[in-house]
Amino acid sequence: MPTLRELQRDIAHGLIARGGAAAAHVIADGLAPAARLAIYRNTVIASLTTALRLSYPAVHRLVGAAFFDSAAHLFLAARPPRGACLDDYDPGFAEFLAGFAPAATIPYLAGVARLDWAVNRTLHAPDADRLDPVRLAAVAAANEPHLRLMPHPSVGLVHAEHPVDAIWRAVVAQDDRAMAAIDLDERPVFLLVRRTADGPAIARLAPAAWRFTASLCAGQFLQDAIATAGEIDAASLLASYLIDGVFTDFAVEHDSGRQTMEIRP
Amino acid sequence: MSSSTTAATTCGPIPARAGIGLRFPHHRVVAETRPDVAWLEVHTENYLGGGATPAWLDAIRRDYPISCHGVGLSLGTAEGLDRDHLARIGRAVEHFAPALVSEHLSWSVAGGQYLADLLPLPLTDEALAVVCRNVDEAQEFLRRRILIENPSSYLRYRHSTIPEWEFLTAVAARTGCGILCDVNNIYVSAQNHGWDASTYLAALPPASIGEIHLAGHAIRRLDDGTVLRIDDHGSRVVPAVWTLYAEALDRFGPVPTLIEWDTDIPPLATLLDEAHAAQALLDRYRGRAGHADAA
Repeated sequence: MPTLRELQRDIAHGLIARGGAAAAHVIADGLAPAARLAIYRNTVIASLTTALRLSYPAVHRLVGAAFFDSAAHLFLAARPPRGACLDDYDPGFAEFLAGFAPAATIPYLAGVARLDWAVNRTLHAPDADRLDPVRLAAVAAANEPHLRLMPHPSVGLVHAEHPVDAIWRAVVAQDDRAMAAIDLDERPVFLLVRRTADGPAIARLAPAAWRFTASLCAGQFLQDAIATAGEIDAASLLASYLIDGVFTDFAVEHDSGRQTMEIRP
Repeated sequence: MSSSTTAATTCGPIPARAGIGLRFPHHRVVAETRPDVAWLEVHTENYLGGGATPAWLDAIRRDYPISCHGVGLSLGTAEGLDRDHLARIGRAVEHFAPALVSEHLSWSVAGGQYLADLLPLPLTDEALAVVCRNVDEAQEFLRRRILIENPSSYLRYRHSTIPEWEFLTAVAARTGCGILCDVNNIYVSAQNHGWDASTYLAALPPASIGEIHLAGHAIRRLDDGTVLRIDDHGSRVVPAVWTLYAEALDRFGPVPTLIEWDTDIPPLATLLDEAHAAQALLDRYRGRAGHADAA
């Protein structure tokens, strides 16, 4: 008699990887145990495929349902979700598509997938209060060199070799004429994706502005990011980000990074 | 979820009347038209993030008692509850302050993988101890009593030794949890496994019943001619389940009753129509002695 833990490992292996040990634990009663398990497998695969389709709607429309489902089935067998909140499933699908040989004929697919995921985060990431510029000004006025900003959880930065923002909009709107008009050889795009009251906002940034923004979002010290920002107007950009709620908080680090002191109002 | 600074006031208690499951396609119509229905139930896992989705529920819960029905806690997992997931459920429960919180007698997590279905447990003393330990932990963490729903199932395990109705009753007795009696699930499982649905109902302790679920199911004929009933929540409640529901009300008295519909979700009017049918049966039993209060 298997322990509960053994049984659950066998069933999980049977449902995800089609391992055969699970059937031995199941009563036939007029129907093969494998057929009974297949009912559950079909539900699990359908649920996870649907979760991926909801997270990657533009990819789904670009490749069609049959292609999407087969890619999703391979992905979910290799990387089933680690938790029960399927809005979080799964940022790795974009990376999977980048290395998925049958998708190689669509060179912009992985970029569209990364944008899909960034948009998904604007829809579902936790809410957080925006950083009050007055609080920041009080610390920044002291020329604090060890100040880092914390981005809102819904903010995403996407860099792609193709104009994936235009492709994404055309595909989501099912606008074939707009799709046909896109110049795929256009220069790379540098995108900032964030939540607004009207839904996801996808904005193109100049490369230097995007790199500055990415440095801040990655937790680089504010002074260092500004110092290396080059010719862009970092102060104006930062002001607009504060107005738009791109950052939620800041932290000041002392003792060469060994201690972090968070400042709260 | 809306920012954590929002203080939630508990919505009203769930009345012993008919409610409906609130799904995404109906957020707007419910918020804007305020249909005549006694209460609403949501799947907790759909409201764990931020953005527009929880904002809809924030607006709707001002006018309706709310129940949070979980599908991902995996109370039957041998390796114990996912503490991160439990913490997220806890934050949602704190934020929405629902009148009822419920989960399933099933498991979905093994080896740290989430299998997105409600899988049946072997009905053994070991599994009973695991479920009770996990229910205790969930109730302690959430600081409230929860309801546990009987599953629908398409298989049984060789080493099961306890009838499902005794297992569920024992969980309620040992942990103090309530029972969410899904009448459609009893019917589906009874048909699939050759159980007697009335025996199942009669074995459940009336004082523990905090809620009833009703839903439609599908009949699937397999290649070899075997017929299985599949609990797909994709159609109206079938006549045999209405009959069993009337039997449940005879036994339990009026209990908050929910219409669930999750696949091929129809217009809101269809759900309200089903809820009215449930309400008509509830009205017949209203006032009889011996009914359980809503948790």
